[in-house]
Amino acid sequence: MIELSPILVTLKLATITTLILLLIGTPLAWWLSNTSSKSKVVIESIVALPLVLPPTVLGFYLLLALSPDGFIGHLWFYISDTPLSFSFSGLVIGSVIYSMPFVVQPLQASFDMVGKPLQQAANTLGANSFDTFKNIVLPLSKRGFLVAITLGFAHTIGEFGVVLMIGGNIPEVTQVLSIIIYDHVEVLEYTQAHYYSIGLLVFSFIVLLVTYSFNRKLMVRL
Amino acid sequence: MIEVNYKYKLNNFLLDVSFTMPENGITVLFGPSGSGKTSVLNLMSGLGNDKNKENNSKFILNDRVIDDSVNGLKLEPWFRNIAYVFQDHRLFPHMTTSQNILFGFNRCHSELKPEVLIEKFKIKELLGHYPEQLSGGQKQRVSMVRALLSQPDLLILDEPLASLDYTSRQELLPFIECIHKELDIPMIYVSHDIKEVLRLADYIIIMDKGKIVDQGDIADLCISQPLLTQQEGASFILDARVTKIIEEDKLVELDCGETILITAESMRLNDKIRVLIHARDVSLCLSPPQDSSILNCVPICIDEIQTDENGKLRVIAKIGEQTIVSLISHRSARQLNINKGKQMYAQFKATAMIK
Repeated sequence: MIELSPILVTLKLATITTLILLLIGTPLAWWLSNTSSKSKVVIESIVALPLVLPPTVLGFYLLLALSPDGFIGHLWFYISDTPLSFSFSGLVIGSVIYSMPFVVQPLQASFDMVGKPLQQAANTLGANSFDTFKNIVLPLSKRGFLVAITLGFAHTIGEFGVVLMIGGNIPEVTQVLSIIIYDHVEVLEYTQAHYYSIGLLVFSFIVLLVTYSFNRKLMVRL
Repeated sequence: MIEVNYKYKLNNFLLDVSFTMPENGITVLFGPSGSGKTSVLNLMSGLGNDKNKENNSKFILNDRVIDDSVNGLKLEPWFRNIAYVFQDHRLFPHMTTSQNILFGFNRCHSELKPEVLIEKFKIKELLGHYPEQLSGGQKQRVSMVRALLSQPDLLILDEPLASLDYTSRQELLPFIECIHKELDIPMIYVSHDIKEVLRLADYIIIMDKGKIVDQGDIADLCISQPLLTQQEGASFILDARVTKIIEEDKLVELDCGETILITAESMRLNDKIRVLIHARDVSLCLSPPQDSSILNCVPICIDEIQTDENGKLRVIAKIGEQTIVSLISHRSARQLNINKGKQMYAQFKATAMIK
C-alpha cells in the first residue's frame, strides 16, 4: 500500500526549505556578487561544503548541534520549549544548509552576469541601490531564480543521508520519501519501494524537463 | 560655474586634476587612452571606487556641492543629477526603447516633454523595440534621449561614437550638435578622435598620465597646442557674423575681418557663428587669381612659419584680427618666397564646417 504522508512531508519540507533559502540566499548571493572583501572566498567555501562533504558527516555535526546540549538545539529549546532533534523543524534547518549551494550559486552567477555597468547606468538615471536591484537586477536574473528554485526544491526532495542522521523516521512528522523507500527495501518489500521510486523518478524528470524548456524560452527573450 | 578637483590613486599613476569648465557648450576631455579620462568622468558621476580615493576632492556644479572631502560630503550617484552616455550604450535589455527612455524621466521631476526629444532624435519608430533589435547608432541615440530626459545639470558623454562604424558616426554627430544648440545643458565629452574634438569642442582640456597638460578655448588651442596642430585634420576656427544670405546658391556671406562665403543653410542674418577650416584646404598665392572656382580669396599677413612633423610647413597668418593656418610644402614656400611679414592671399573653398 502507498501511504500519502511521506509524500506530503517531503513536499512540505522541500517547499519550506526553498522559501527559506530564497530569503537567505538572495541577500547572501548579492553580497557575494558585489563584495571585494577578503572573507568572500571563506564564505563561498562554506556555502559549497555540502557539495563535497558526505551527507553523513554533515548530518553527524548537525545531530550534535541540534541536540538539546548542542548550541542550536539549546537555543531553540530556550525560545520554543520544544526539542529540535528528530523534529520537522530540525529537518528544515538541516535541509536549508544541505541545499544552500544549489540556490546561492545560480543566484550569484546570474547577479554576476547582470554586472556593474547596467547598475551604474541606472544609478546615474536617479535609481538608488534598492530601486536598481528591484527593477534591473531582479528582472534580469529571472533565469537564475528559476534554476535556483528548481535545484533547491529537487535537491531537498532527493536528500537522504542528512535526513537519516537528524530526522529519525517518525511517520507523518519526519518520514520522507527517500527514507520510506529505504525502509521498504530493508524488509524486502520491493513492490512498495518501486511505487515510491518510480514516482520520484518521474516527478524529478518532469520538473527538470519543464525547467529546462522554460529556461530556453527565457533565454530567447532576454 | 563647474569646478572640478580630484586626486585619486589609479593602478599605475596618480590622477590629479583640477579645472573649471564653462557652464554652457561642449567641453572636450582629450588625451591618449589610459590617460585617466574615464576615471575623471566616473569620479564626477560618483561611480569611482572610494577605497582608493585620496583625501582630496571637490566638485561644485552650478553652486551645488557634489563632492567635498574636507567637509566629508559625497553625494550618491542618484542624487547628483548628472547623466551619463556610455561608450557601450548600457540600455536595459529587458526594457523596450520607450521603457528605457522613461527610466530616468520617471525618477526625476522633469519638465521636459518626451515627445519633443523622440521627434528630434528620430526614434519614434523604435519605441516598441528591445535594444537587441536596434543598430549601434540607434542604440546610442536612444541612450542619449534616456540621459537627456532625466533633465541633468550636466551631461557626460564617454566616447559615445567610438564603438560605431564611420557611417553611423557621421549620422550621430548632428544629434550631439543638436543637444548643444537646442538644449542648454553643459556637456563634457571624452574623445581621442581629433576630428570629433575639433568639430564638437567649445572648450578643451588635454590630459596625459592623469594630469592636465593644457586647457582653453578650442579656437586658441587648435593654433597653439602641438597635440592638435600636429595631427592630420589640423584645423583653425574663425569667428564670424552672417552678413548676407544668398539663397539661390545656398551660400552665406560672413564677416570675419574679411568677407568670405560659406555653404550653409538655415542661417539668420547677424547670427554669430564659428567656422572650422582644415589647414590643408587653404592654399596661398601672391596675387588673387582671376579665373578660379575657389570662392574665397582673402588678403593675409604671414605671422609665423613652422615645420610640421610630416615635413610640411605650417604657415600661420593674420586675417584681420584672426588667425588662419595653411599647410604647404617646402617647395611651394621656396617658390613663393614666403617669409614673416609678407602680404599674400589665402584661398579656400566654401565647404568649411559651421560649428
